[in-house]
Amino acid sequence: MTYRSKLKQFFDGFNVVIFTLILLFLYIPILILIIYSFNDTKIIAGWKGFTFKYYQLLWENENLKNAFWNSLTVATVSTIISTALGLLTALGLENKYFKAKKLIQGIIFLPLVMPDILMGVSIAMLFSFLRFPMGKMTVIIAHITFCVSYTIIVIQSRLQGFDHSLQEAAMDLGANKSQFFWKVKFPIILPGILAAALLAFTLSLDDFIITFFSTGRGFNTLPVYVESAIRRGSVTTINALSTIMIMITLFITFISKPIRKMLI
Amino acid sequence: MEDLRLVNVTKKFDNFIAVDSINLEIKQGEFFSFLGPSGCGKTTLLRMIAGFETPTEGKIFIGDTDISKLPPYKRPVNTIFQNYSLFPHMDIYNNIAFGLKVKKVHKSEIEDRVQQMLKLVKMGDHVNKFPQQLSGGQRQRIAIARALINEPKVLLLDEPLAALDLKLRQHMLIELMNIHDAVGITFLYVTHDQSEALNIADRLAIMNKGSFAQVGLPDDVYERPETIFAAYFVGDTNLIEGRVIKVEEDYATIISQTDSEHEIEIDTTYHRQPNLDDVVTLSLRPEKIAISRKPPKKKDDFNIVEGVIEDILYGGTHTQYIVRVGSHFFRVFQQHKKVYIDELSLDWEEPVYLYWHDTDTHIIFETDKNRVNSENIMKTVRRK
Amino acid sequence: MERFTDNEVAKIEKENRSSWFLTTPFLIWITFFFLIPYLIVIFYSVLTPGVYDIKFVFSLESWSSAFSATYLDSITHSLVMSLLTTIITILIGFPVAYVIANASKKRQNLYLILIIIPFWTNFIIRIFSWKIFLSSQGLLNNLLIYFGLIDEPLTLLRTNGAVLLVMVYVYLPYMILPIYSVLEKFNYSLLEASMDLGANEIKSFFKVTLPLSLEGIFAGSILVFIPALGTYIIPQLVGHQSSAFVGQLITFKVKSIPRNWPLASALSFILLILVAVLLLTGYNYYKNISRSKS
Repeated sequence: MTYRSKLKQFFDGFNVVIFTLILLFLYIPILILIIYSFNDTKIIAGWKGFTFKYYQLLWENENLKNAFWNSLTVATVSTIISTALGLLTALGLENKYFKAKKLIQGIIFLPLVMPDILMGVSIAMLFSFLRFPMGKMTVIIAHITFCVSYTIIVIQSRLQGFDHSLQEAAMDLGANKSQFFWKVKFPIILPGILAAALLAFTLSLDDFIITFFSTGRGFNTLPVYVESAIRRGSVTTINALSTIMIMITLFITFISKPIRKMLI
Repeated sequence: MEDLRLVNVTKKFDNFIAVDSINLEIKQGEFFSFLGPSGCGKTTLLRMIAGFETPTEGKIFIGDTDISKLPPYKRPVNTIFQNYSLFPHMDIYNNIAFGLKVKKVHKSEIEDRVQQMLKLVKMGDHVNKFPQQLSGGQRQRIAIARALINEPKVLLLDEPLAALDLKLRQHMLIELMNIHDAVGITFLYVTHDQSEALNIADRLAIMNKGSFAQVGLPDDVYERPETIFAAYFVGDTNLIEGRVIKVEEDYATIISQTDSEHEIEIDTTYHRQPNLDDVVTLSLRPEKIAISRKPPKKKDDFNIVEGVIEDILYGGTHTQYIVRVGSHFFRVFQQHKKVYIDELSLDWEEPVYLYWHDTDTHIIFETDKNRVNSENIMKTVRRK
Repeated sequence: MERFTDNEVAKIEKENRSSWFLTTPFLIWITFFFLIPYLIVIFYSVLTPGVYDIKFVFSLESWSSAFSATYLDSITHSLVMSLLTTIITILIGFPVAYVIANASKKRQNLYLILIIIPFWTNFIIRIFSWKIFLSSQGLLNNLLIYFGLIDEPLTLLRTNGAVLLVMVYVYLPYMILPIYSVLEKFNYSLLEASMDLGANEIKSFFKVTLPLSLEGIFAGSILVFIPALGTYIIPQLVGHQSSAFVGQLITFKVKSIPRNWPLASALSFILLILVAVLLLTGYNYYKNISRSKS
C-alpha cells in the first residue's frame, strides 16, 4: 500500500506542477500587459516610471470611443436577431418526424467548422456583387450569420433535456399549445436562451476577421480598431485599453456566477 | 347523469391491436379500476379517454357528449400522471392554480379554491415550496390537487402509486379513497397491482391483450373468475382441468384429466351447470384448502385428497405449502390464526390431507393446456 | 415504420408544417448570407482582377496562379504549422485536461474558470501581449540578459517559432475543453476493474483511459486544426513576411491595393476543399474507430 500512496503523492505533485506551468503560460503575457499599461514610455522599453497618462489619453480618444460604441451596438443587434432566429429554428427542429431535420442540422453545422476567413471573404464579395455599401449594416448581417449556428446548438441542447410529459400535463389541465408554450415551456428554457444570447454577444464583441472583411470605410469595431492601432505602431494606449478590457472580463466572470445562481 | 361510456373503442398501431373493441359503461361517481399486466392496453385506453391518443375506431361519451375527437384541453377530464409531471419552474401554489389561471378565473377565487384543495390533500404548509423540494408522496398529493381543482367529471389515475414504497402506498391508497368520497366524482384507476385494485375499486376490469377478461365487483372477480386469465392473474389459484362425469341437480362431479384417481365434487347451486363430458377447468383458491395430518371429521362435506409436502414457504401471515397429490401439485395457504406453540409444524415430505368445501371451487368453461397448474407449480418447487 | 390513423397523420402533417414555418427564416437567412456568398466566391474565381473592382471577364488565370509555387508553398506552410499546432496542443492539453478531470468536483470548476478567463479577453490583445513579451526590449529578453543567460537580446518575434507559440497559446483551450469533457464522463469503475484484473496503473492508462479519450482528442483536433489553417492575425502580428499563411495571402488580395479578387477566391476555394476533405476523412476515420471500439 505504501507503493500506492507514494505513487499517489507523486501524482498529486505532478498535477500541481503541470497546472502551475499552464497557468503561468496562460497568464504571464496578460500580466505583462497590465504592468506595461502603467509604464511611462512611448515604446516597448524597460520600465520608465509609473503613470496614468495613457488611461487619460484613452478617455480622450474619440475614435476609440466610437469603436467601442459600435462594438456594443453591433453585438446587441446581432445577439437579439441571432438568438431569436436560433430559438425559432431549434423549436422547429424538435419535431422528430420532420423529414428535413438531418439536412438542416448539417447546414447549421457548416458555419461552425469553416474557418472564419472564408465567411469574411464570401460576405465581402456578396456585398460588392450587390453593390451594397459596406458599413454598420453589413457588419451586423455578417455577425448574425456566424452567430446563429451557435445559438441554435445551445438552445437545442437545452431543449433536449426538456420533459415532454409537461406538455401533456399542461394540456390536460386546459392549456392549448400557445398557452403551454408561454406559461410552461418558455420559462423553463429561458436560461438556455440567455446562455445562447450571452455566447452570441461574446462572439460578436470578440470577432476580428469577419468584421474586418465586412466593414466599410470609417466604421470600426473595437477589435478592428485595436488591430489597426497595432499595425500603425501606436501601442501605448493599447496597453491601457487592454488592461481595462481584461478587468471588465474578470468583473463579468466573477459576477456571472451569482447571477446564474439567481436564474436557476 | 354524467356516465362515462366506451363504445367499440379500438386502437391499432400498424399491425398491433393495443385495444380491441372495448365496450363499457362506468357510472358517475364510481371508483373503477383497469387491472392488467404491462402491455395489456390499459394505459392506451386511459390515454384515449384523456385525449392523448385518438381511437382508431369507436367513440367515447361523457353523458351525452361525444368527446372522442376533442383535444385534451377541451375535455372535462383530468389526469394524474405516473411521475406527476409537476411544473418545476412554479411553486406549489401556482402548480395547483395552473388550470384556473389558464381559464382566466378571478384571482380571489383562485386563492380560495387553492386553499380548499390544499386542505383536501393536507399540504397547506408547503404552499411556497417547489416540486423539487418535496418527497414522492407529497408531489403526488399536489398532482391530485392540481387535477381536482378543475372540477373534472372524470379523474384518471395512471399507476399513481407505482413510485412509492410499500407503507406509503398503503397510506396513499386510503387517502385516495377518502378523497374520492369527499369529492364524489368518477375515478379511473389503472394498475398492474391486483391487491391495489381489489382494495380500492368499486368495480374493476381485468385487461389482457387489448380486451377485457372480466368486468365486475372485486369479490365476484376474485371468487368467480370467468376466464383462466382472470383466475390466475388476480391472486394465486389452483387450476385443475377435468371432464364432467356426473351431473345432478345441484352438483357436478369432474374427474381430473391427468389423474383419473381423483374425483372432485362441486356444488353448482350458484353456478351455470356444465354438461356431461364437458372438459372444464376448476379454480380452487389456495386459502380455501385446509392442510392437516388428519382427515376432517365430517367427511361428507369436503373433497379430500392425500398428498406429500414438496415445499414450504413461510410468509408471516400465512405459510405456503406445495403439496404433490398424485401427479398434481397443489398450492395451499395456511393462515396463522394462532401461534401454535404446542403442535409440531408440518415438515417437508410429510404426508398430509388436503380438503375443501364443495362450494369453494369455481368452474371456468375454458381450457388452456398452457395454464394448467401442475406444470407451472412444478417449476417453482425447490428440491430440498 | 409506424402507420397512423387518419387523425394522427393529420396531426403529424400539422407538426411538420409548423416545423417548416419555424425553420424557414433561418434557412432563408443562411441561403442568402452564407450559401450564396460561397457560390459568388466560386464565380469570382473565374473572372479577371481589376485594381479596385473585379472585371466580369472570364479567365482561368487565377487558378493557374493559385497552383503556382508561391501559393502552394504558402498552403503547405499553413498545413504544416496547423499540424504542429495541433500536435503540440494535444501534448500539452491532454495532461492538463487529465489533471483537471481528476480533481475534486469543486476544484474542477475553479480550474476550468482559471483556464477560460484568458479566453474571455479579446484575442488580439492576447497576441499583442506576446508581442510585448517577446520583443527585443521585452520582458523575456530582459530576464534572460539579467540572469546572464545571453548577452544580446534574441530575435524572437517575426519567426515561425513565435507564430507557433502564439498559435498554441490561442488554440490550447479548444483542445483542453473537449478532452476534459470526455475524461470527466469517464467511468472510473472501468479503470478500477482493469486494475483489479492485474494491470497496473500505467497499463490501465494506455489500455483503458487513452482509447476512450480519443473521442475528445479528435474533437479538439478539429477545433484547433481548421481555424489554425485559416488564421490571419497571428502570423500577421508576430510572423515573418516571407513565410505567409494562406489566410494572409487571401486577405492581401482582397484588401490591399492592387486587389486580386479572383485569386483570393481561388485560394479561398482551395482552403474550403482542404477543410472539407479533412472533415470527411476525419469523420470516416472516426466512424471506423467507434465501430471497432464497441
